[in-house]
Amino acid sequence: MTARGTPSRFLQSILQNGVGRYVCQLKRISLIFSKKGQGSLGVRDFIEEGVVDFAKNSPGTVVYISPQSCRIPKIVAEYLNGNVKEETVTNKTSQEIAELITKLSNQSGLEIIRIRKPFHTDSPSIQGQWHPFTNRPPSIDPVGPQAK
Amino acid sequence: MAACRALVSRAVLPLHFHHVCRGVMLTHIREKKRWMKAYTLIMERKRKMEGPPPPKPRSQQPNFDYHAEVEAFSARLQESFSVELLKTAFVNTCYLRSEEERRRALGLDLETTTLNLKDNGKLCVHGQQFTKGFLSDWCRGSFPSLPEEGVAAVVGHLTGSEVMCHVAQNLAVEDLTMSAEFPVPDETLQGTFFAVIGALEQSSGPVRAGLFIRDFLVTQLIGKDLFDMWKVVDPMGLLVKELTLKGIALPEPRLIRSAGASTVLPLYFVGLYSDRKLLAQGPGETVLAAEEEAARVALRKLYGFTENRRPWDFTAPREQLQKPSAQALTSG
Repeated sequence: MTARGTPSRFLQSILQNGVGRYVCQLKRISLIFSKKGQGSLGVRDFIEEGVVDFAKNSPGTVVYISPQSCRIPKIVAEYLNGNVKEETVTNKTSQEIAELITKLSNQSGLEIIRIRKPFHTDSPSIQGQWHPFTNRPPSIDPVGPQAK
Repeated sequence: MAACRALVSRAVLPLHFHHVCRGVMLTHIREKKRWMKAYTLIMERKRKMEGPPPPKPRSQQPNFDYHAEVEAFSARLQESFSVELLKTAFVNTCYLRSEEERRRALGLDLETTTLNLKDNGKLCVHGQQFTKGFLSDWCRGSFPSLPEEGVAAVVGHLTGSEVMCHVAQNLAVEDLTMSAEFPVPDETLQGTFFAVIGALEQSSGPVRAGLFIRDFLVTQLIGKDLFDMWKVVDPMGLLVKELTLKGIALPEPRLIRSAGASTVLPLYFVGLYSDRKLLAQGPGETVLAAEEEAARVALRKLYGFTENRRPWDFTAPREQLQKPSAQALTSG
């Protein structure tokens, strides 16, 4: 819709991630799929081939595999800031699911909405923020406390 | 026609059946279901009356393996915790008490069912002492001219429940905490986080624990102003004291700029001069407010807590490991 009609946020990071050490923000990923349904074929292939490598490469993320009788296979990603993201992966190939999971593990948990400014700084001014009195010669000398 | 086919008892086996609730089976009918509207309205009314369901801890929701989560916790932070110490750090006294009461209420024999868990009291105290000591040392090192009350205020802000709970919640400590109530109260969460730091110090040593505190607690100071954390009632008095300690002439306030004196939003700039040299200037809506602000700006300059100060060093220590061995080779 429009900028005011849709939510928006400022560019930020969780707990100043990256300033000290980088912490992978994905804490838990659950693969919900069916053992027999044809929509879960890609997920089943991914579980055979790629999920163990992914789990080894990201030791900070816990991977849960839960086969259930469901019509639509899902990937549920939980992030450190508490956000939960669900993606349906019906009829996706194993390669696409692998890319999706890499994308999820590279995200921070913040919502994917319009970012108002593509920059953020905590020290916006080094020499001092300009105001109309900067560099203006004073019209009178400094006035001391007036005796009343 | 539809009505007479709708409800069938269990004794007769129709071709396709499905359960609505225990004891009632329905045949599949493609017509509009007469009971659906009443059922939906009753469930909506029930939901509205009861309100939202109470929040459940993550450990009681599906897909949660405690041991795997604890190992992932230590891997995520790139620290090697000893798993027993870490698991002890998450166990709170209130949890042990509530578990024992629950077991007693269930009538279980106390000898056979003693909890083998230790609580995190000692680790919590140890972690708290270490954190406060490390943060005070870091503060004094980064701001050598900051007085003791300032250091205490900054350390108190960083180890206070707001900041600690914010950090703990965003590091997934709340998921792993074992406590009696959910949502975990702030003091319990703060205690658990201190216990985690204590466990880290006992597993990996004070250097690694210091780096952990620097990476997660000191970063919360970024973008913060000194006087947000340290409530100073009389900045002018403090400034006078600081300057007399240094032997500099006392500050004299002078009105430098003024604009809109008779309007709703007047603006005054007051400068503080010591020995005819400008120390600092500050704006305000009244002359007194401007003088106080100028005193605060002067204090910030004195303590080195300005917005344009040199950023702190958060680099990962790598070269420190190589230097001692090089020295050993050359000397030996």
